[in-house]
Amino acid sequence: MKYVILIHSNPQPWGHPTSDYLAAHQALPDDVRKRLNAEFEQVMTELQANGELLGGEALGDPAGARLYRWRDGEPLASDGPYSEAKEHLAGFFLIDVDSKARAEEVAARFSGPDETVELRPMMWPGGDDQ
Amino acid sequence: MKALDDVWRREAPHVLGALLRKYSDLGDCEEALQEAAEAAAAQWPVDGIPDSPRGWLITVASRRLIDRARADTARARRETLDAAQRPEAVDDRTVPDHDDTLRLFFLCCHPALTRPSQVALCLRSVAGLGVEQIAAAYLVPARTMTQRLTRARTALRQAGAQFVMPSEQELPDRVAAVIDVCHLVFTEGYARTSGEALLDVQLAEEAIRLVRQLHAALPDHAEVAGALALMLLTHARSPARVDPTGDLVPLAAQDRALWRRDLITEGVELLERTLPRGHVGRFQLQAAIAAVHAEAATYEQTDWLQISVVYDMLSRVAPGPAVTLNHAVAVAMAHEPAAGLAMLDPLLDDPAMQRHHRLYAVRAHLLDLNGEPDAAAEQYRIAARLTSSLPEQRYLNRKLAR
Repeated sequence: MKYVILIHSNPQPWGHPTSDYLAAHQALPDDVRKRLNAEFEQVMTELQANGELLGGEALGDPAGARLYRWRDGEPLASDGPYSEAKEHLAGFFLIDVDSKARAEEVAARFSGPDETVELRPMMWPGGDDQ
Repeated sequence: MKALDDVWRREAPHVLGALLRKYSDLGDCEEALQEAAEAAAAQWPVDGIPDSPRGWLITVASRRLIDRARADTARARRETLDAAQRPEAVDDRTVPDHDDTLRLFFLCCHPALTRPSQVALCLRSVAGLGVEQIAAAYLVPARTMTQRLTRARTALRQAGAQFVMPSEQELPDRVAAVIDVCHLVFTEGYARTSGEALLDVQLAEEAIRLVRQLHAALPDHAEVAGALALMLLTHARSPARVDPTGDLVPLAAQDRALWRRDLITEGVELLERTLPRGHVGRFQLQAAIAAVHAEAATYEQTDWLQISVVYDMLSRVAPGPAVTLNHAVAVAMAHEPAAGLAMLDPLLDDPAMQRHHRLYAVRAHLLDLNGEPDAAAEQYRIAARLTSSLPEQRYLNRKLAR
């Protein structure tokens, strides 16, 4: 079962890993930050070793986004960011896991202070004929 | 090259079996086999396919293993060295092939491995598929599949898994695991409605090929026969389950003239030989249900009473929400929709089912049958939002748009 894990965040300045640039994360005691970072490394290593990680990318600053809207039958380009929302899409990971429960376990381990982790199933080209 | 590929697919598992009998480590043996394959690809087109391709491959692969064992004394796996001192002990005649096939199945479906690892390893080692082929079939990067296989072989090494037959006590669970793995491969392939034709590997057919091998090795195992019958009877519907635009055609609307009669005949015969033998497990029961569908000339003529009776047995042998859903449909069709709907009520309280589209899709169908179109529409809407199957979502959205 394939899922995408979307990281919604607002690092200031924009940077990766996002946690390094989040006030809430910086405010944590050093040992807690170290532990959280180590746990993240661990889940990544685990996903890779298990053959569960299909890929992932870190995204650039939303200020550098270019938006295309449809106006009068033509695309109209403007500069980003897309929304004034508190958080922006900062990166994503694609995983292929045994079960929904496993996907939820992995997604939970991606979460951290001042970020929202969104787990979404990927659509697949098959189905049941019953 | 087709001839070469055929020889390779036929011989690879036997060669691997012969190597494993001597050298035991799956990772090492597969690497040696891979090198032998490369040697064959270079030499056979020039010199012709040898009289005994199996013997040739075993000899070449064994030499590689011996060379490696000599070079790699740091690892010094004693058994490898022992074997290296008497390479003549490896031959392809001393053990019947069926035993090798079984041992290979059991090794690949070892309990120390996760199901996806077991699946990957079976397709690689028993079915003899390439890593790229398996990766393409599962729509994952080859690197991911390689990691899965590497992880699996490491796990086998760490668990001390041997190329042996399980004990009498272990045997039932181990066979059940092998059947499960084959069935997973089958459903992955069967459920596809697009893309599959573009791949050079048809997973449903690979699964049937695997279960045929398993059945040949364990001809008296009723559940293995049941699983084979189930796959044949289900696969028979393949030509009718997708329309020319690639959309899913539900069982009720399938053109039964397109169903593959040869597979139905084979499946039904297999089931008729197997069912009277006693122990009736979930695969035989599911096959029996598939057979009732296969034998109905039209959807309307389906013997729903018989199907509901078999689902009743299945819900005792292998209870689960998926069985309850299908059972409810059969009861609704055999008796009345309200009776089927009542069976679904407990599932609404099951946290695992509350976000499962099938529950709402089935409720919608039964509400429709019960003459409650508005209530049905609401359930179709929920089902369409929850499914992650593209063709099912299109189907459910069409139902909504009526």
